[in-house]
Amino acid sequence: MSSNESNPNTKELLKMTGIHKYFGKVHSLINVDFKIDEGENVGLVGDNGAGKSTLIKVISGYHRAEKGKIYFKGKEVKISSPKDSRALGIETVYQDQALAPDLSISRNIFMGREPVVALGFLKKKVMDEESMDALKNMGLYLKSPNITISTLSGGERQGVAIARALHFKAKLVILDEPTASLSVKEVREVLEFVNQLKRKGIAVIFITHNLHHIFSIADRIVVLSHGEKLADIKKKDTNVDDLSELIIRGTIG
Amino acid sequence: MKNVENRNRKFLGSFIDISSLGVIGILLVLITLLAIFVPGHNFIRPDNIKNLLSYGAEFAIIVLGAGLLMIAGEFDLSVGSVLAFCSFVFVKLFSLGINPFLVAIITLICGAVIGMINGLITTKGRILSFVATLGTMMFWRGITVMASGGAMMPSDTSEFKFFTSVFIGEIGKIFQSQVLWLILFAVILGFILHRHKFGNWVFSTGDNERAARSMAINTDRVKIICFVIVGLLVAFAAIIQTVRLAAFSSRSGTGLELEVVAAAVVGGTSLRGGKGNMLGIFIGAFIIVIIKNAFVLARLPYEWTYIAFALMIMFSVLLDLLIENSRKKVV
Ligand SMILES: Nc1ncnc2c1ncn2[C@@H]1O[C@H](COP(=O)(O)OP(=O)(O)OP(=O)(O)O)[C@@H](O)[C@H]1O
Ligand SMILES: [Mg+2]
Repeated sequence: MSSNESNPNTKELLKMTGIHKYFGKVHSLINVDFKIDEGENVGLVGDNGAGKSTLIKVISGYHRAEKGKIYFKGKEVKISSPKDSRALGIETVYQDQALAPDLSISRNIFMGREPVVALGFLKKKVMDEESMDALKNMGLYLKSPNITISTLSGGERQGVAIARALHFKAKLVILDEPTASLSVKEVREVLEFVNQLKRKGIAVIFITHNLHHIFSIADRIVVLSHGEKLADIKKKDTNVDDLSELIIRGTIG
Repeated sequence: MKNVENRNRKFLGSFIDISSLGVIGILLVLITLLAIFVPGHNFIRPDNIKNLLSYGAEFAIIVLGAGLLMIAGEFDLSVGSVLAFCSFVFVKLFSLGINPFLVAIITLICGAVIGMINGLITTKGRILSFVATLGTMMFWRGITVMASGGAMMPSDTSEFKFFTSVFIGEIGKIFQSQVLWLILFAVILGFILHRHKFGNWVFSTGDNERAARSMAINTDRVKIICFVIVGLLVAFAAIIQTVRLAAFSSRSGTGLELEVVAAAVVGGTSLRGGKGNMLGIFIGAFIIVIIKNAFVLARLPYEWTYIAFALMIMFSVLLDLLIENSRKKVV
């Protein structure tokens, strides 16, 4: 089933080959290959406009690539909507786009996947109880499942979004700049949430501009530059200085 | 303070938002003041209350839909024109001797289709609903005036006793059946908004459309359904209004769009979407109706009501902002 050549012990979860994405004349992804193994933690870095968000939006079904193939667990798949990616077990946490601020925690956790009785009426109690369980599972102890997201701190919000992914048995969680605009303490919380995902064997793609954050959690780092993959390095084979130099220079040579 | 709020929320359920208590308070104060201060106790005379309730029911039925749509993050400015157009359809078909129940059903279908057109222009055409429905507002008014020649048309359904009583039958001295229809619609929409998964999609769509979409909610469909609900309710209101007045006027519903938005906002609905509740919307509708009624009783010029509504919208929005800001500071 697995087509992983390099390491027979780990199973390949997602593989993309020859991905091209255009926005009108802008060529945002140019022949990009990308893969991630089960339980692996990949950091995705690159300058502004490098194509990071575009790449993960192709994975999550928000955008469709014009060219290229996607394999999930060795089988070719078509991901043409967020529904498709969710059905595969891919959950994406977009910065500022993951949650509805005026809605309660439990309504957010079950957004689009509400547990219902006959005729589609909500199982409010189930929603509330399972929300609290999902949060506890992430080490988040909040007072009530009925408080609105807008009253939570930035770190707690990311926690709720990640708890949601976990609750729905995600196999791959994608985090687009989850630490941007957070305080130092909140960043530490979020990195701890990500580590929890890893301990639970869930694969993570983590986008950030902060290489120190990447280095504290990633197994492997992928660098994009102007829509092309510039480098794909194991963490142990590089360091923050080399990497930042690479990103700034924008070429390997 | 937060604990108290949580406990209250649990007690009242998510069905009744805590913020609608304030709106209920405003309504009660308003009623009390008018009952005491309007000369000759004209405000609480049975015929005035009956008037208020029958007009209020028609208005509030439309506000329920418009409020739902605003929670989903969209506006419908065409409600007044569609009201007139649906009245015209009803009167025209009725005058051809078609069975009135069939006429009513066709009128409702008209409303639903018009709502769907608004929804499609907004979502698939990617035109702001504010602009799209400004266009359809002029379009349907134009069609109505053209088709009717701008004339009043009488339309007496009273020989169809059962039909007439279904829509405007008297229940005691004050109540009429349209009030029961209003309550029925409010309860159904309240359950849908607060207890049904569709309600969760409506809130999510209005609050953060991108989040809703990334959670695989079809936000376009949610909005189109809300537009259709508005269209249906406007058509229903058109039917009861036409039956009540036994006439059609091509000018009916002018200025309604502002009053509807004012009612929803006063009732705690956010202009930015994602926030609101059915009870508040219901109460907000009656606050507007009562204020309009008070201006009539006080013999103030009609234009003044617009100034009052404008002030109320601004006041409600400011209050909403203040509450929002104070909540953010607490955290
Ligand atoms: N919806 C869109 N329409 C048009 N162009 C787009 C769209 N989304 C992205 N682009 C373009 O594609 C390129 C890559 O953008 P992308 O958002 O993927 O970059 P990024 O690496 O995530 O950058 P950042 O670090 O600033 O978030 C940019 O040139 C951007 O302008
Ligand atoms: Mg980005």
